Amino acid sequence: MTTMSRDTIVSIILLLFCGFMVWAGTLIRDPQFGELSPAAWPKGVTWVLTAFCVIYFLQSVIADRNGTAEVRAADPARGPGLGGWFRYYFNPIVCFVLYFTFLATLPYFGTLIGGILLVFALLSFLGGIAPKQIVIHALIAVISVGAMWALFTYGLRVLLPRGELFGTI
Amino acid sequence: MLDNVFAAIAELANFQTLLLMTVGATAGLIAGAIPGFTIAMAIVLTLPFTFGMEASQGVATMIGVYVGGLSGGLMSGILIGIPGTPSSVATTFDGFPMARKGDPGYALGLGVWSSFFGGIIATVLLVLVAPQLAKVGLEFQPWDYFALIFFALTVTASLAGDNMIKGLISGALGVLIATVGEDDINGVKRFDFGNDYVGEGFAFLPVLIGLFAFSQLMSDVRDKVSARKALTEMQDVSIRIEHRRAIRTIMKDWVNLVRSSLIGVFTGVLPAAGSSISNLLAYDQAKKASPTPEKFGTGHSGGIIAPESANNATAGGALITMMALGIPGDVITAVMLGALLIHDVIPSPAFIAEQPKIAYAIFIAFFFANFLVLALQTGALRGFVLITKVRMYVLASIILVYCGIGVFSLNNITNDMWTLAIFGVVGYVMRTLKFPLAPMILGVVLGPIAERWLSRSLALSTDVAEFFTHPWSLFFIIASVFSIGFSWYQKDRGRKVWTLWYAPLLLLTMTLPLFMMGGTFRPILAGVMILSAIVMLVKLPRATRALKSTTEV
Repeated sequence: MTTMSRDTIVSIILLLFCGFMVWAGTLIRDPQFGELSPAAWPKGVTWVLTAFCVIYFLQSVIADRNGTAEVRAADPARGPGLGGWFRYYFNPIVCFVLYFTFLATLPYFGTLIGGILLVFALLSFLGGIAPKQIVIHALIAVISVGAMWALFTYGLRVLLPRGELFGTI
Repeated sequence: MLDNVFAAIAELANFQTLLLMTVGATAGLIAGAIPGFTIAMAIVLTLPFTFGMEASQGVATMIGVYVGGLSGGLMSGILIGIPGTPSSVATTFDGFPMARKGDPGYALGLGVWSSFFGGIIATVLLVLVAPQLAKVGLEFQPWDYFALIFFALTVTASLAGDNMIKGLISGALGVLIATVGEDDINGVKRFDFGNDYVGEGFAFLPVLIGLFAFSQLMSDVRDKVSARKALTEMQDVSIRIEHRRAIRTIMKDWVNLVRSSLIGVFTGVLPAAGSSISNLLAYDQAKKASPTPEKFGTGHSGGIIAPESANNATAGGALITMMALGIPGDVITAVMLGALLIHDVIPSPAFIAEQPKIAYAIFIAFFFANFLVLALQTGALRGFVLITKVRMYVLASIILVYCGIGVFSLNNITNDMWTLAIFGVVGYVMRTLKFPLAPMILGVVLGPIAERWLSRSLALSTDVAEFFTHPWSLFFIIASVFSIGFSWYQKDRGRKVWTLWYAPLLLLTMTLPLFMMGGTFRPILAGVMILSAIVMLVKLPRATRALKSTTEV
């Protein structure tokens, strides 16, 4: 019995996504005027994408059966299993979580405070939290985001989002 | 024409624009020199600053970054052996060995001056070819435009090499993303699922910055150990660029310079083929044409002249396609196209005739940027050394916030910041799964344009045969078919017999639309192509036997 390669799994996920989009395409309203209905182009693109995904799936399955599928985990730093995967991608996952947290809290903290907190959190997470580093990271965060905020607010006259907690900034 | 040139010079020759271009070129030089930072990323980061500028001023600034970035890549390639950008990969082959042999100043001089001359040759071609190509573009009807965009998408996908199917999926996904939200023609919401945010659609620039810049930064900090390292351990650079010696060598090797520049321009003109390809192509041709090919890779001057002149010349080629046909030549011109659209400037075949001030400002800015970059190189060398002492995680953290603020300033809505983050995740996943991002980005840009032209064609006639009876449309459809087959051709060339049929078949089928176009020149060109194909077909049996005997051995 052959095991499924990463490509096969990805192609199955893509095919499921295509199925979902084909269904979603049926929900597009047709105003009954014009030669090209608003649904025609997205539906056409979805079917083309589906065709490509089917080819990708078949290619992957054939590669699996022939044993020519691309060998995964070429990077020795990556451990086995879900735990290994999580440890390997831990940095980007945390960075994305921090960024989404920044966006979710933007209405409360505003760009200046939220931005400083985000840069400080990112720097401390990626660079370490020794006492000396914390001071340096705090300084970098305040100076860099402060300069950016001032440049956009006063230089480019952009009204950056303000927070409810600190109404003026 | 001269009136337009003078008007453009007057438009650009003010202190503020020159200062902006200088800052842009310096930023481009330094960003291009940092391994892991691409030119597209540098342009993307410049975008927010250009929103408040005049169209010509904003584009001039971005051209400064573009030319600076192309030239900046050579510094790290020559001094530390790591190309700053993909467009300087081939420069490293001979630049780094030359620097290690104790001639870094000469290597840098060759790189700097080759970039300059390549840029100047490209400027001349840009000024001469773009208006002519635009005239050809005026012949295009909706069917032809649709076929051209289809061709551009197939070229991008076929350049994905072994991963062509992933390239095609990536391109189709890009087109699909662009369909989300209100459609331009009827105003009907698509794929909104009752959600207002999705119903508004995704703005192009946040999608692009997310896919490209955000995901790149995440890739740069994936490994904590390398993220904490300084980019180089270089302490000081007290190198003097050897200008005179370098110019003398380049003048002696002018054939290489001109050939490489032409390869660069041609690659740039092709939709979706950029400087990351042209530098390798030019290096390969220079090596093949050299009487001493064995010296390539050991610190040969020709190995620096070829890639550096080609990559700068590619910018000119990409600008030709963008200005003459409104089709971005690569990811970088796709960003520029987005910036022009923000200023309500829509590049098309009529662009040069209708907006001569902006069009010629682009020509002049490109020309001037080459001089500016040449003058700034020595100073940028010091800046490069300073920047490389900064640790990657510090740069990444600051730039992440900057991306968010920059994207917000586009439309002053926080939804764009969410789009940035969401597509940052999408881009990172795609990078991890080895899906090329360039087809997706071009799909996002070209998708709505393709739909618009398809709608216009169908409004004129619902007969699908029109796509095959209009000569330019047929031309691009044939080109698309062959471009899809190109990656298989490349893989099997010299090993399988069918590849011997590729070139004569391409030539023969291309003659059909050329004959259909009529006139004098095009049928003559078609005749020449038929003759060339016949010569190839006559030689085919012998070539087949030779190939079979080689493969059997």
